[in-house]
Amino acid sequence: MEASLGIDIGSISTKGVILDNDNNILASTYLWTEGNPIKAVKKVLKDLERQIDKDVKVTSVGTTGSARKLIGTMLGATSIKNEITAHAIGTLSKYPNIKTILEIGGQDSKIILLDNGIVTDYAMNTLCAAGTGSFLSSQAKRLGLNVEDFGKIALTSKNPTNIAARCTVFAESDLVHKIQMGYKRNDIIAGLCYSVASNYLNNVGKGKKIEGPIIFQGGVSKNIGVKKAFEDLLHEDIIVDENGHLMGAIGSAILARKTGIKKEFNFKVKDANFETSGIECKGCPNHCEIIVVKKDDKILDSWGNRCDKGALKVKEQ
Amino acid sequence: MKIGLPKALLYYYYAPLWKAFFDELNVKYIESSDTTSKTLLLGKEKSIDEACLALKIYLGHIRELKDKCDYILVPRIFSLKKTEQVCTNFNCIYDLVRNTFKDIKILNYNIDVKRHYTEKNAFIKIGKELGFSIIESRNAYKKAKEIEKTYYLQEEKKAKVALKTNKTKILLLGHPYILKDNLIGKSIINYLEKNNISIIYSCQIPRDLIEFNCSKISTKIHFTMNKEEVAAFNYFKDKVDGTIILTAFPCGPDSLANEMIIRKRKKHPTLLLTFEDLTNNTAVITRLESFLDMLKGGIHL
Repeated sequence: MEASLGIDIGSISTKGVILDNDNNILASTYLWTEGNPIKAVKKVLKDLERQIDKDVKVTSVGTTGSARKLIGTMLGATSIKNEITAHAIGTLSKYPNIKTILEIGGQDSKIILLDNGIVTDYAMNTLCAAGTGSFLSSQAKRLGLNVEDFGKIALTSKNPTNIAARCTVFAESDLVHKIQMGYKRNDIIAGLCYSVASNYLNNVGKGKKIEGPIIFQGGVSKNIGVKKAFEDLLHEDIIVDENGHLMGAIGSAILARKTGIKKEFNFKVKDANFETSGIECKGCPNHCEIIVVKKDDKILDSWGNRCDKGALKVKEQ
Repeated sequence: MKIGLPKALLYYYYAPLWKAFFDELNVKYIESSDTTSKTLLLGKEKSIDEACLALKIYLGHIRELKDKCDYILVPRIFSLKKTEQVCTNFNCIYDLVRNTFKDIKILNYNIDVKRHYTEKNAFIKIGKELGFSIIESRNAYKKAKEIEKTYYLQEEKKAKVALKTNKTKILLLGHPYILKDNLIGKSIINYLEKNNISIIYSCQIPRDLIEFNCSKISTKIHFTMNKEEVAAFNYFKDKVDGTIILTAFPCGPDSLANEMIIRKRKKHPTLLLTFEDLTNNTAVITRLESFLDMLKGGIHL
C-alpha cells in the first residue's frame, strides 16, 4: 500500500503523520522539539515506523513548519511548504466548508479566511510573539503549574481578572501585580486565557471578517480556557478537532502526494548522522551566515547566502 | 572638490536631480556603496533606539563617506507643499547629522515651501556655497529638472512594460528608500524575481496623477511622500494580482497610510511586511511564500 508522510516541525512541538491515499491517518505522533529539530524528527520517524504495517510503502514526503527546509533536506522531501498552505489544505481535507481557521502555535499565530474551499486572505503575527503558546507556558511556569492544566482551571473561574493583553512584558508585570493584590488564582488564569484570545483578535484578526464555521487549532487549541474565551468574544461556536494539532502535518503529506513525484522513502534515514554548521562568508561586508547540512560528512545542502560568493565558500570547506 | 551623496533616504527621490545638477556645474561627486549589514551596524552605533531602520542605515552611509569627500549633501526638507508635511526625519536630518558627526562639512539645502524656501532657491544656495553665480546655478537647476522629468517618464514606461506581461503581477508599495535598498527591499525583489513575478513599484506612478488617485482613497493625507503610495495603490490595484507593502519599523507616516490602504482595499490581496533589524529572513520568506501561493486562489484541495 502506498502512503505519504507529512512532518510539521514547529518551534515547540514536532508533529508527524502517515496518510493513505484516501487521507486516512495510518500513524501519527506528537512530541516536543526541545530546540533540536533533527533529534525530534528522528524520534518522530522511529515512532511512526513502529505504528505502521510492513506492507505500507511511503512514497512521498512533505515538510512544513519553521524548520521545514532543514528537515526537508534531511529527508529528501518532495514538498517543502509554508505553514499557511499546509494548514489550509490539511483542514480542508476534513472540513471542506470551513470559513475561518484560527491558529495559535508556539511562536506564531495566524488566521486564514476561506471562501468555498479557497484561501482568500490570511494574516500572521508581525514583529513579536505576544499572546502565543510560549507566553502561556512561561506564565504557567511563573505560577508553578503545568500548562496542560491551564484550561481546566480557567473554566472554574466565574469572574476572569482583566489582564493587559497588548504586550507580553506588560501582561507579565500586570499579572505579578494582580497576584500580589490577592486575586484568585483561577480568575487570573482565566484572565490570561482571555488576554490571549483578545490579543489575537486585536492583532492578527484585526479588520478581518470572522465568519462561522470557525475551527481553532495549533497547540494552544488544546487549552479549553482559550477556546471558551474565543467563543465568548466571537459569539460563535468553535470547532476544535481532536487532530487539530496534526493539520499542518496532514496538509504537507497531501501536498507531497499532489506533486505526483514518487520516491520511495526509507526509514533508515533516522540512523544516519546529520550535522549542521554555520559558516560566515566574508566575501563582502554583508557577512551572510550560511547553514550547511551534512549527512555522514557529505554536504547535502546549504542556504542563507545572498549571492553566489557564498556558494563558492561552501565548496571550499 | 568632491561631494558625497549618501545612498539612502532622500537619495532615492532626488538622485537624478542632484547628479544632473552637479554634472551641469562640473562638480565631482561620489556615492556611497550599496547598503550592507555593515552599513547598518555602523549606523546603529550612532543612532538612538527610536530611529527607524532607514535612518540607521542613512547614518551608516554618512560614516562610510565621511573621510572620502569634502562635503556631504544632507538636505533639510520641512515642507514640499503649503498644506502638507513630510516625515520628521527629513525635518531633523540636517541637525541630527551635524550633531552626531562634528567633524564633517555638510552641504545643506533647506526646502520649506510654507515659509517660501523653494527648491530652486535651495539649489541656488548650494551653487553659491560652491562658488557659482546665481545665473549659473539657475541654469544648471533648470537643466537638471528636465533630466529629472525624463527619469520619471522612463520609470512610468517601465511600469507599463511590467504590466503588459502574462506573468503574475505584484505591486510593491513603500518608500523608494525601503524598496530599492540593497539590504531591505532587494531580498524581497530577488525572491519575487526568482518566482517569475513581474514587479511594479509604487514610485512608478505618473507624477501628474498622484493628487487625483490619492483623493480617491482619502483627501486628508497630509504626508507628501505617503500620498504617492496611497495614490499608487488606487492607480495600480485593478491592474495587478496583489500588493505587498514594505515598511520599516517604526515609521510614523506609514502607520497611518498603510492602515488606510488595508482598510480600503476591499478584496484585493495585500500583504504587509514590517522590517526591523534583519538577522534572518526566514519569517519574511514564510509570509511571502504563502502570499504567492494564495494569489489567484492558489490554495485549495
